[in-house]
Amino acid sequence: MIVEADGLCKTFRVADKAPGFAATVRHLVRRRTKDVHAVRDVSFALEAGEVVGFLGENGAGKTTTLKMLTGLVKPSAGRATVVGHTPFARRRDFLSAITLVMGNKQQLVWDLPAGDSFRIHAAVYRLDDRDVQRRVTELSEMLDITDKLTTPVRKLSLGERMKLELVASLLHQPKVLFLDEPTLGLDVNAQQTIRAFIRDYNAQHGATVLLTSHYMADITALTERVVVLHQGGLVYDGSLSSLVSSFVTTRQVVIKLRTPVDGADLAGLGAVDFHGPAELKLRVERDALQPTLAQILERLPVVDLTVTAPPVEDTIGHILKTGQSSKRVDA
Amino acid sequence: MTFLRRARAFLEVYYAYMLVYRSELLLWALAMSLPFISMGAWIKAADTGAFPLAPVEFGRYFLVVYLVRQLTVVWVVWEFEYDIVQGRLSPRLLQPADPVWHYVGGHVAERAARLPFTVVIVAFFFMLYPEAWFVPSWTETVACLALSLLAWVLRFVLQYAFAMAAFWTEKASSIEGLWQIGFLFLSGVVAPLAVFPEAVREVVLYTPFPYLIDVPVRALLGAPITLRDVLIPGAWLLVALVAQRLAWRAGLARYSSMGA
Amino acid sequence: MRDLLRILSRFWRASLAAELEYRVNFVFSTLNAALGLVLGLFALSLFFQNGHAFDGWSFDASLVVYGLFTTFSGISSVLFVPNLSRVVEHVDKGTMDFVLLKPVDSQLFVSTRNFSPWGLPDIALGLGVIGYAARRLDVDPGHVPAALLAALLSLIILYSLWFALASTSIWFVKVYNATEVLRGLLDAGRLPIAAYPAGYRVFFTYVVPVAFLTSVPADVLRGADATSWLAIEVVVAVLAFGLSRAFWRLSLRSYTSASS
Repeated sequence: MIVEADGLCKTFRVADKAPGFAATVRHLVRRRTKDVHAVRDVSFALEAGEVVGFLGENGAGKTTTLKMLTGLVKPSAGRATVVGHTPFARRRDFLSAITLVMGNKQQLVWDLPAGDSFRIHAAVYRLDDRDVQRRVTELSEMLDITDKLTTPVRKLSLGERMKLELVASLLHQPKVLFLDEPTLGLDVNAQQTIRAFIRDYNAQHGATVLLTSHYMADITALTERVVVLHQGGLVYDGSLSSLVSSFVTTRQVVIKLRTPVDGADLAGLGAVDFHGPAELKLRVERDALQPTLAQILERLPVVDLTVTAPPVEDTIGHILKTGQSSKRVDA
Repeated sequence: MTFLRRARAFLEVYYAYMLVYRSELLLWALAMSLPFISMGAWIKAADTGAFPLAPVEFGRYFLVVYLVRQLTVVWVVWEFEYDIVQGRLSPRLLQPADPVWHYVGGHVAERAARLPFTVVIVAFFFMLYPEAWFVPSWTETVACLALSLLAWVLRFVLQYAFAMAAFWTEKASSIEGLWQIGFLFLSGVVAPLAVFPEAVREVVLYTPFPYLIDVPVRALLGAPITLRDVLIPGAWLLVALVAQRLAWRAGLARYSSMGA
Repeated sequence: MRDLLRILSRFWRASLAAELEYRVNFVFSTLNAALGLVLGLFALSLFFQNGHAFDGWSFDASLVVYGLFTTFSGISSVLFVPNLSRVVEHVDKGTMDFVLLKPVDSQLFVSTRNFSPWGLPDIALGLGVIGYAARRLDVDPGHVPAALLAALLSLIILYSLWFALASTSIWFVKVYNATEVLRGLLDAGRLPIAAYPAGYRVFFTYVVPVAFLTSVPADVLRGADATSWLAIEVVVAVLAFGLSRAFWRLSLRSYTSASS
């Protein structure tokens, strides 16, 4: 196991102040604090070469967990082991074996072309300049960004900057990549390039990737396995497809109508998602699908009828919001 | 009425904001230690040399310098430059109030938040140096406060005028830095104008500098106020206001043509 | 060692290249340094009116102190201040994470990463003043090596003070203001320590060791008996450096347990 989290917990103490003048003064005199349990008892493990999606709403504890795995935050309890090291000791060997990319933070020197930042990285990671040159060429070709290496970073678009951040983060050939929202705020093209890049990079170098993203497309395209956090706790660890299928117990039935129907005609046919003059959308329990379809064909003026599973995005969104999934999967 | 309500909301929010950074306000109150350093050197010098002020008078002078500086601190150029560079000016331009009121609000609220620290430091001073204790008369106090207010407004407007350079260069604060050097040495912070050679003093009195510190300080220590003490800073204020308005208009035109 | 040199040269070349994007700064920093020196020397000369002088320090000897002060301010703006403000920025924007993930000592990284050429005019002018004063004082060249050692120790102390301050940004975030406290206190180094009353001398020797920064090297250079002070300065420098390191460790621990 190249990455192991064993009962990780993190509790923060934060200031607690109500808005308004009186509360401000009160806060000045006596600071009230409260404990926030950002991460509680999270355990999972990654095998070398795996690409795993890390899911959860904002504030579910993803970033804090990533920071504990990279040694930036000391766990309140529990143990992390990454490439054989305890991250928080921040040993040179450990740091040279990992990388962290954060979509909302930049490390390239703002006023200079990225090439200059790469040279600094080379010195800091004690890399040979020729190796670095080779790697820059290879990575920037994969990302289709070779023509931007000499432009000052401040003059680049967000997508171009992110691609160069990726190049910088991978110069030292890390074994484990922690990617925190690497596609945040990028347009669809740039997202696709980066997605393809991560897939190819993983395939070619066998690097382990732990990825968080708000874009389900990133997750579905890149990962077989997902780890889901909800309110700091782990609620699911397994394959993406079984997460979706086990959760989805309903089917969507879309019906094209010859003539409009009355609401009363729909009684007993499942939940109505949409009711228009020429179209109907119904949600029907999977187990009741057969008899309900028979009823529909019998009672309604059907021109066309399709049965689909609800979109993955909706399902995942629902799981992340409610944290409901473990019961179904474990059962 | 709406003006008052708006002003109150501004001040409350900015006061809360300042209190969040109260450890820094404490640092700011300490940062103005230069008058106390000058005080030490001048008290010692007056002990042994022939200077127009006695040691205890130097002590009082620099204490009041400290107070007047606390009352008249201005940093609008830094804030404005930051707002332009970070693109925070644009949303403010959309609000139906001149952006300057944000800065004014911040400055006024900060004064209130800073006050407790200042009181502590003054009390500390008199504990260490009880001989310097004095009680100014009402008229002296009012004169000093009025002149300090004038000094504050003048400093704010001057600095805001310099801040307009941020529309053209990313280094508006460097330009202001030059001005700051003049302020440091010629306003009376490192030495009272009374110890300047006659000829130098006469020239310096036509610049805005002494009216920012030395003149309000002397007012509290009982020196008579002349018409000149109001007219010269008043004239400078007028110049700064006109320059600021012109630069603001030209700067905005440029800012919006650059795509804000 | 070779790795270190490679890192430093890359750091500084990149910083230099980045700073040269803002070439106007050169004009401002030169003007700033020149104006500051002229007005500073004027303020110093005020103490030497009517035959007054500091205890044991002629005007020329005080010039050495002033020259050292200017040089050290220059060095601060070349190395200490730019790195300090970058630490603040790292904490503010959360990019400190990247620094901590680098396989390099984090204190070394954050205190050498940046280099700003804009303090160079101050260094040049300061050295000029020292040279001029040394000629007028007829300094024995045999004192120069010891004086250089003293100046080097001063730099270590100065670095430690700045760096300890930078560490506090992890608690206070907006630590720009704390730099002003330090800057304000360091201003005491413009004058020889003998210019201050006894209480001040104790404070500026044992609490904030300003006396060691400029007065001790100046004393060593002009051949005043300062061997014991030099010995103490060695101890102070070692202590200050050790403390700055311990302080950084402490603040990092707080950063890594509090950030999210």
